[in-house]
Amino acid sequence: MISMDFWVWVSAFFTICSFSLLYGDNILFRFGEYTFISIVIGHAVVVGLQTLYPMFYPLLNGTNLLLIIPLILGIMALFVAWRKYAWVASLPFAVIIGIGTGLTMRATITTDIIGSLRAIIQETGMIFIGTPGDQLGYLIRIVFSLGAIFYFFFTIFVKGRGSVTIGWLRTFGKYVLLIYLGISLGNSAMQFSGLATSAINRLLRLWLGFG
Amino acid sequence: MQIPEIKSEYIWATLLILCYIIPGIFPLNTTFPDSATTTQIFNLIQNLPNNCTVVIGGSGVFAFDLESSAGTIPAIRQMAAKHIKILNVPLAVEAVQFEKYLIDAAKIETKYGGDYVYGRDWIQFPYLAGTPGSLVAFLNDIPGTCPTDVYGTPLSQLPLGKNLKDYKDIALWICPHWDFPTIVQYVTGERNITSVSFAQSAAYAQYGPYMTAYPGKVFMTNGFLGGAQYERLMGTNGLGHAVLDGEQIMGILFVVFVVLGNLTYFTRPKEVKKK
Repeated sequence: MISMDFWVWVSAFFTICSFSLLYGDNILFRFGEYTFISIVIGHAVVVGLQTLYPMFYPLLNGTNLLLIIPLILGIMALFVAWRKYAWVASLPFAVIIGIGTGLTMRATITTDIIGSLRAIIQETGMIFIGTPGDQLGYLIRIVFSLGAIFYFFFTIFVKGRGSVTIGWLRTFGKYVLLIYLGISLGNSAMQFSGLATSAINRLLRLWLGFG
Repeated sequence: MQIPEIKSEYIWATLLILCYIIPGIFPLNTTFPDSATTTQIFNLIQNLPNNCTVVIGGSGVFAFDLESSAGTIPAIRQMAAKHIKILNVPLAVEAVQFEKYLIDAAKIETKYGGDYVYGRDWIQFPYLAGTPGSLVAFLNDIPGTCPTDVYGTPLSQLPLGKNLKDYKDIALWICPHWDFPTIVQYVTGERNITSVSFAQSAAYAQYGPYMTAYPGKVFMTNGFLGGAQYERLMGTNGLGHAVLDGEQIMGILFVVFVVLGNLTYFTRPKEVKKK
C-alpha cells in the first residue's frame, strides 16, 4: 500500500529529482541539487554553532578558565574575512596547521610507513607456510608491493648498465599501480550502484509498498 | 562490422529495470559467500565483556551512509543485547546526525535493546572540531575534551559519562565513516585499541592494507556485501540483503559493459579513433 507519510513523499520526490539527471540536466534535478546543498550548508553552520556551548561549558561555569585562549584564537580566525586585518588570523591558523602537521607526521610514519613495511616483512616469511593458495596470495602481495615501491624510487631514467632491467621493473610497477586503480574504480562503481539500489528499494518498499 | 552506438538513456533505463526495479519487487535471494573477517568481527563483539564501552566515531559520511549502515546497524543490536555501552563521537559536522540515525535505525531503545536508555547506556557527544588534534585530546582526556553531551548536559550528570576518563575506558572503536586511516593511526597505532570499520566498497579497497599492517587489531567489512554477511551472522534480513540482488546483477552487467566497450573501440575505424 502506498505510504501516507508526508516525509516519505518528500524523500521520494527528491530521489526522483536526483534520478531525473539520467535523462539529462533538467529543472527537477537542479531543484533537488540546490535544496540538498543549501540544507547541508545550513546544517553544518547550525551544528558548528551549537558545538560552541558544550565545548566552552567549563569556561562558562568557571571550572577551566584556560579555555579563554582557544576562544580568543577562534575569534581571531574570523578576521580572515576582513582583508585589512586578515593578518590577525595568521596566528590561529599557524597553531592549527602546526599542531595538525606535527601529529599527522608522527602518526603517518608510525602507521603507514613502518606499519606497512612491518607487514611486508612478516608476509615474506609466510610465503613458505600455509596452503598453496595462501602462499600464492602472499607472494603476489609482496611482489606487487615491491613493484610499486620500485616504480616510485626509480621515476628517473637510468642510463648505462642495468638500465634495461630497471626499465622492466619500473614498467611492472606501473602496471601494479594500474591494477590498484582498476580495483579502486570497480569498487567505487559498485558503491554508487549500491547507493542507487538502496534508494530505489526505499522508493519501492517504503513509498509504493512493494515487498 | 561496426557496433552501433546506444543512447545513454537507453542503457540507464535497462539498468533501472533489470538491476533495481525487478529485484526490488521480486527479490531473487541471490547467494553470497561468507567472509572470515566479518565472522571475526562478529566474534570479537560477541566476546567483549558485558557493560564495556565501545565508541562509534569518525568523520566523512555520505548523508546517511547506507553502505556502512548495513553492517553497523546489526552490530549495534548485537552490542545492545550484551548491554555494551556506546559512545557516539562525531569528528565531522554531518557525523552527529549520522551516528544518531544509526542508533534510531537499530531501534535499540525500543525493540532490540530492551531497556537501552540514553545517558546510562549510550551518549551522543557533540561535534569535535579540529581532527586529529581533537581526537588525540579526546583519547587522553574524555571529560576535559567533551565536558557535556550534544544536548549540553554535563557528563558528570550522566550515569555513563561520570565514569569516563580516557582511552583506557574504550574496549573497541567502530568507524562507520570514510576517514578510517585517522582512527587506525591514533586509536590503534598509538593506543593499541582494536578498531573495526564497516566500510564502503571504495574505502575497503583503499584502506584494506591496514588489516595486514595491524593483524588482529584492525578489521573491515566490504560495503553492502559485508553488511549482508553480518546480517546473516545475526540471523536477520536488513539493508544488506535488500540491496544484494541488484548488486549481483550489476556486477555481471559491468563485465558485459567492459566487453562491449572494448569491442566498440576495436571495431571502430581508425579515423574515428584518431578524432
